[in-house]
Amino acid sequence: MTVSALIIAAVFVVVFALFAFYDVVTSRRRKVKYRIWTAMTAYLMLLPAIVLAFLFVLLPILYSLGYAFTDYYLLKPNNISYIGFENFKQVFQEIAGRGTLYHALINTTEFVVGVVPLQIGLALALALFVNKTYKSAKVFKVCFFAPVVISLSVTSFLWLQILSPSEKGLLNSLLGVLGVKPRDWLRDPATAMPCIIVLSAWQGCGYQMLIVLSGLSNIQQNLYEAASLDGAGAWHKFTAVTWPGLRSTFVYIIITVFIGACRILTQPMLMTGYQDHTVTLSYYMYQQGYTYRWVGYSSAVALLMTIVIGTITLIQRRVFREKD
Amino acid sequence: MVNKLYEYLPNAERKGISPKKAIGRIVYIVIGVILSLLFLFPIVYMLATSTKSESAYAASAGSIAMFFPDFADLGEAAKNYGNVFANYGIWRYAINSFLYAAAVIASNILVNGLAGYVMAKLNFPGKRFLSFMIIFLIVVPVETSIIPLYSIVKIMLGLKNTASVLGVILPATISIFNIFLFTQFFENIPQGYEEAARIDGANTLVVFFKIILPLSKSIVATVAVFCFIGVWNDYLWPSMILPYAQEGQWPLYPIQSALTTIQSIQGITTGEIMASLIVTSIPIFIIYVLAQKYIVQGFGTAGLKM
Repeated sequence: MTVSALIIAAVFVVVFALFAFYDVVTSRRRKVKYRIWTAMTAYLMLLPAIVLAFLFVLLPILYSLGYAFTDYYLLKPNNISYIGFENFKQVFQEIAGRGTLYHALINTTEFVVGVVPLQIGLALALALFVNKTYKSAKVFKVCFFAPVVISLSVTSFLWLQILSPSEKGLLNSLLGVLGVKPRDWLRDPATAMPCIIVLSAWQGCGYQMLIVLSGLSNIQQNLYEAASLDGAGAWHKFTAVTWPGLRSTFVYIIITVFIGACRILTQPMLMTGYQDHTVTLSYYMYQQGYTYRWVGYSSAVALLMTIVIGTITLIQRRVFREKD
Repeated sequence: MVNKLYEYLPNAERKGISPKKAIGRIVYIVIGVILSLLFLFPIVYMLATSTKSESAYAASAGSIAMFFPDFADLGEAAKNYGNVFANYGIWRYAINSFLYAAAVIASNILVNGLAGYVMAKLNFPGKRFLSFMIIFLIVVPVETSIIPLYSIVKIMLGLKNTASVLGVILPATISIFNIFLFTQFFENIPQGYEEAARIDGANTLVVFFKIILPLSKSIVATVAVFCFIGVWNDYLWPSMILPYAQEGQWPLYPIQSALTTIQSIQGITTGEIMASLIVTSIPIFIIYVLAQKYIVQGFGTAGLKM
């Protein structure tokens, strides 16, 4: 592995040198003057950033591409062999055979389909609700934002108590008053993912609410005045002014929430552990690559996931941009 | 009915609010309070439970008392928090988190700030290639390179001992997006400041530290705040690369990773668990209150990522 890292580093340096050489050759045509002393200072000051970016950003990307086609086992870093598309074959077998990866795929899809509309819908509704000049609106804004301050791991542990299977847990005891029997919310396949969806939306939507609010503040007030003059009602103003004005904010939110949702890992990891009814793609990858140490196979899953998510993101951009 | 409600609204008449609007305002406040309660109840529950003994917690189950502290026995609250600090040693993990955050903030601003300065102000062969690489690495959606990153860091540092601390700090030091942010910001600083200093004989590093950084307080503060939140809230990565605490040694875990350890302590009560969650959340809460301005600025820059 050290050897391959050195080779990649050498390739990088050569490519950089070629580009630098090209810059020098064309400098007269581009009317740019390079001074050796300035260039040396620049390289020296860039060195820490370049070394760190190479090691911790570029190399992991290239390696995850490369590992996907190998049988890399973490404890044998010097014994890696190329196995072609074996890992990918195993991925499809696992999905076709309804193995854990199949469940991970289903659960992640369920989470994304549930949390993206819920979180964005909430964020939009709350932003419209607090987008007033009232004093009370400011207080409400702080209340809606409060869960964002809590980290994902604290959120998971807190809701673990709220959803506790004992009859003293918050949800069970409150439902107990209404005569409902205590349930094990997180171990029941029917309720586990919906619970995780709700608590994730609860934790996250305040953040998107602030982004929508900053989008709303960018809409020119005279557009609303013009709409009023034309006799537009509240709903008409929303569809004719607010909605088009929020378009770019909205595209940004959809894409970031979508990508974030696809990566879900902390909540199932801390709340249920590695179980078929809550395992997600990221969790599966983590378990295969870190706990079971099959880095090669895990990288193949990661590569497929990157391709799928990248494609969906591109489609989202196309769909939402086209109407402009 | 309408008129009665109208009387309750303070200064309504003076402010010229009509009865119809007053009703609307009251309905607004009622809906707002209900929504706020829906958002706050888990946090209120966490705060209230952290003051209770296990028996008081059990006694309050199923009643409104779940959302109120145990006023009858406030000594219990002190006991819960005392245990979390003294017996479970959460303060050590908190100190670790603060140290990691401080190291990451300093190194992140230094490394990415220098790079951003060079990209914004200096001219050198190969600059166009690096600009391209920066944009490329920001735009390409890298789903999960955490496993390859882990294998790289493991082979580099061995991860057997305290060297693994570098595994927390070094990957968090580099942020391509922050380089981009710094570059954008520094490009808008007029060249005149720098030239004046250079005539006085200052070299590039001196210019960076004495002229550029002091002029860039807002971007430096924004990056620092987001670094702090990022490091403090990070759970997965430190749990992966840091070793478990050895008996009698100072632990290396930051506070979020330590929550798992604390949860699994034999005989820990629900109140103590809640107290540990609150202690973990307080610094972030303070940061959000103190650094509001920079966080809102950060939201503005988040849009640049597109």
